[in-house]
This record gives sequence, C-alpha cells and structure tokens, in this order.
Amino acid sequence: MAENNIQKMSLWAKVTRAEDRHPFFDQIEKLFKNRTGVAGLIIISLFALTAVLAPLLSPHDPDENALYDQLKPPVWNEGGSTKNLLGTDDLGRDMLSRLIYGARVSLTLGIVSVGIALICGSILGALAGYYKGWPDNLIMRIMDIILAFPYILLAIVIVAYLGPGLRNAMIAIGIINVPRFARIIRASVLEEYEKDYVTAARAVGANNRRIIFNAIFPNCLAPIIVQASLGFGEAILSGAGLSFLGLGAQPPLSEWGAMIAQGRSMILRAWWVMTYPGIAILLAVLGFNLLGDGLRDALDPRLRD
Amino acid sequence: MAAEHLLEIRNLKTYFDVRGGVLKAVDDVSFTIEAGETLGLVGESGCGKTVTANSIMRLVPIPPGRIAGGEILFEGVDTLKLSESEMRKVRGNKISMIFQEPMTSLNPVFTVGDQVAEVIQLHKRLSQREIQDRVIEAFRLVRIPAPESRIREYPHQMSGGMRQRVIIAMALSCNPKLMIADEPSTALDVTIQAQILDLMNRLKEETHASILFITHDLGVIAEMAQRVAVMYAGKIMEGADVNTLFIEPKHPYTIGLMSSIPVLGIGKKEKRLSTIPGMVPSLFKLPQGCLFHERCSGAYTECGQLEPPMIDLGDGHIVRCHKYA
Repeated sequence: MAENNIQKMSLWAKVTRAEDRHPFFDQIEKLFKNRTGVAGLIIISLFALTAVLAPLLSPHDPDENALYDQLKPPVWNEGGSTKNLLGTDDLGRDMLSRLIYGARVSLTLGIVSVGIALICGSILGALAGYYKGWPDNLIMRIMDIILAFPYILLAIVIVAYLGPGLRNAMIAIGIINVPRFARIIRASVLEEYEKDYVTAARAVGANNRRIIFNAIFPNCLAPIIVQASLGFGEAILSGAGLSFLGLGAQPPLSEWGAMIAQGRSMILRAWWVMTYPGIAILLAVLGFNLLGDGLRDALDPRLRD
Repeated sequence: MAAEHLLEIRNLKTYFDVRGGVLKAVDDVSFTIEAGETLGLVGESGCGKTVTANSIMRLVPIPPGRIAGGEILFEGVDTLKLSESEMRKVRGNKISMIFQEPMTSLNPVFTVGDQVAEVIQLHKRLSQREIQDRVIEAFRLVRIPAPESRIREYPHQMSGGMRQRVIIAMALSCNPKLMIADEPSTALDVTIQAQILDLMNRLKEETHASILFITHDLGVIAEMAQRVAVMYAGKIMEGADVNTLFIEPKHPYTIGLMSSIPVLGIGKKEKRLSTIPGMVPSLFKLPQGCLFHERCSGAYTECGQLEPPMIDLGDGHIVRCHKYA
C-alpha cells in the first residue's frame, strides 16, 4: 500500500517535471537516447572541429610541395616517416594536412549549398502550400522538372553553364536540392494550414506574410531539420563528385573529391593518395546520415510512441 | 434610421460553389446587435451559424465561398466593401473571435503570452513594456492565476479551460466592440463550461462589449443572451428576446427544440424525451416552400409550396411560419 503510494507519487513527480519543460528539451533528450543519432553527432562534431581548427591541427601547409618527399607511404608502412603521418601525394604535399583542410571545403560546401536549397525551397514550398491554386501548380511543376533530371547530370549542366569552380559547384548543388525542401515544406504547410490556429491568426488581423512565416513556418521545422541534415551529407557527396570530375574545386585547393581524382591514376603504386580522402568522405556523409535518422526519430510525430 | 446599431446584418447570403451545385449555407439572414448586448444564435450543426460568423469576419474562403448578397454594417460601415488591409485592422481590434477548440486554436510553438502580445502589437502602437503590461492585465481580466509566470507557458502546459481563458484574453486584448463567440464552451466539460460562461458574462459587464454568441445549447443561451435568433438550414426561423422565446416559442421548430430539452425529475418511465422527427435537409436538396415543413407536425399543403415570409409579431418577436400570417 505504502509502496504503491510512493510509486504513484514518483510517477506524479515525473509527469509534472516533464510538463514544465519546453518540448524542445524532450526532443533533445530523445535524440541523445538514440545511439545512431549520437554516433552521427560525434562524427559531425569532430568533423566540424577539424574544419574550424585546421590551421592548428595540420602539421604542414597543405599546399607546400616537397620535391624529395613525393609519394611517401603512411608512417606504419615501409619507408614512411613521422614527418608525414599519412604519407604524401605525387607533389610531396602532406596528406594529413590536405585532409584536414579538405574538411573546411566540405563543410563550407555543405553549409552554402544546403543554405541555398533551404532558403529557396522553404519560401517556394511555403508559398505553394499556402496559396494553392495556380502558384502551387506553377512552383511545383518547375520543381518536378528539376527533379526529372538525373541528380548529378543537372549539376554538371549548371556548372558547365556557370563555369567550373567551387563557388559554382555550391550554387549548382544548392539549386538541384531546392525541390526536395520545397516539397517537404509544401506538404507540412498544407497540413498545418487546416489547423485552427491559422484561422485564429487570421481572425486577429495578421496578414498573409505573417501567417505563413510567423505562425505556420515554425510548426514545420521538424521535417526541415531532418532534411537539412540528410541533405548536408548528400551535398558533400555531390560536391566531391563534381570535384572528382574536375568541375568543382580547382587545384591546388585541397578538396577530397579532387584528391581522389588526383590519386586515381596511381592507385596501384600509392593507394593512400586515393583511399584516405575516400574514407573522409564516407565518414562525413555517414555522420550526417546517422544524425538525420536520429533527428527523424526524435522529431517526427508520426514515429513517436 | 436615427438609432444606429453596433452591427446590422441585412439579407446576408453566403453561398459555396461546389461540385454538384450551389450550397446556400447562409440565405437571407438579417439581424442586429446593439451595443452591450448579447445575441444568441442557435441552431443544429451545419445550419450556417459558423458561416454567418465567418462572413462577419470575412474569413469565408473565397473561392469556393462567396458573399452573394446583403450588407454587414458595423458601426454604420459595410465591412463587405472594405479592402483586405482595412479589414485586417478590424479583425482582432474592433471585432474579435473566440473559437470552439481551445486545444488547437493556439499556436503550439509560442508561449501564450507572446500570442496575446502579438495581437496587441498588430493593432496598437505600444512599447514592449506597455504591451507586456497589457498582456498581464488581460490575463488578470480573464482570472488566470499568477499571470506573471503563466505568460511564459506554452499551450500544451495548460488545461483546456485555461487555454480558453487565454483565447478570451486574446479576444479582449484590444478592447473590441464586438466579440463573436463560436461555441466557446462546447469543447469543455460542464464545470469548466459554467466557469467560462460566468466569466464571459462578467467580462461583458466590465468591458461593455457586445457578444454574438453561437451555440447549439439552449441552456447556455438562456444563461448568456438577451435576444435569440434560431437558425435552420441557412435561414433565421424565429427571433425574440430570451424570455419570450423560452416562454412562448412560436415557430414549430423552436417548440420542437424546447420540448427536446431533458428536464430533471420529470417523466422517467412514462415519458420518453421528445425529438423532432426526420433529419436536417441537405443543403443540396432543400425542400420547396417552408424549409421545415417535412418535419413539421402542423404543416398545411401551403407549407410545401410557398416559402413563408418573416412575420413580425410585435415586441421584436419575429417568426418565419405560415401559421401566424
């Protein structure tokens, strides 16, 4: 009996405590309980930290050539030295330093291209979902046309038009990702539009812009965050792809995709030149995908128990 | 007309163009609301009460809806002729609305204080400090305990009754002349309902605002309204002050409604609760003549052919029935 009461009381305490918090904290807690999500978060944190602290972490200047240290293997292989922990490439540049600086490029690429896609996609999707009718048809058909092209092919076309280079690659990847965001946000806005608080906002005299961006949009954030996280990984992958094809980062910029392209011809002689950037891309993309899945589990109300 | 009504609706027609025809949700509705008065609008689900309210606020989605005719005079100005931006200055400011569902009418991602503050911000030029004072004052007005801490709460942290108080605070925050309450107590349980109704009556005394009170609950009407209009299938069937309507209902539909109110202690075994036979007619297939004649026990043949006019019985008692012609 007494035990029962205590149990009840502790249950009660738990309920009231949970009630006092903003739901945001519940979702954060849920994300931290999700092992894959946490793994993704750790990988990304390391990745971001590397990018930010690149000048401190890298042992050499990434663009510094060393004529006598060309294609040196990593330290644990025969002929390797502690001077270049992961070896050097065909111009004698330190692999580790280049990988570390490559994180900067990939992070910038992710931020810029996802930023472009997020901002354009959100505005277009929100307008389509809110106004329906012809604006919806016009916007979404354009999005359908963009989606009808093979992903990387369209990026190549855009870069070919704008001219190769990292900046144009970021713009291209941003543009091809716009429809994904637009679709997700349109769907959420359509769903939220039916809710009473939207009518209530109109009934207190708010104008359309205010209703869309102040009332509805904050309620659509969950799917956007998830898509942004997944899109980040994909953008890095696409960016590396474009650089591999010679359309993205131009030499001597140390970009992972470009490094793979550069090492491709000597994979049998010097496997490390190609392998390490590949592993770096793999880890970064994996990290964002894991985090995206974790966020989806934490934020998506349909997956909530 | 010397005496100006706060709100006068003349022959309002709100139609919806849908596949399969025109839906006459509100057809030729006229009524007035005086300053400081509560008008009750009663009727079954789907009889056009909410559409009437939304027409006044110009919240009917166009298309498929359209205002096919009539005038809505608020303080002598036809709101149907105002531009959208002029109308926005009326909404929430001079005319405000209280919604049926307190659980979904508040935006879940903002604190309740911010939501009330937004309404004030939209209509009044005040500093942040003054706005916050007004929010707290509004919360106090609707008897929310500890308003200083409650303004920082999110809707999900509040009970249904508290949320409805917040919605009322929002509606009151700009001192409106008219509040439209669309079934404000229906979603609440009975004790909370009584509290909210009591609160609204007291607020009306304090703020001198008029209320258009929409409900399907005659018991609530008796408690709230001074005058009542009974709606059926988009038309007003009977209008009178509340005592007259309850003591001497004239329209067969009103009489039917009155006799279907359960009375405590009477009957039990010998008398079953009386009901009005039949169903509300579909708005797609309205009957010829009187809209109610198919369900009316005292219908003549004439009722099925001619639509009855609105008949004035004196003392503001009006009824749409051939019996009184």
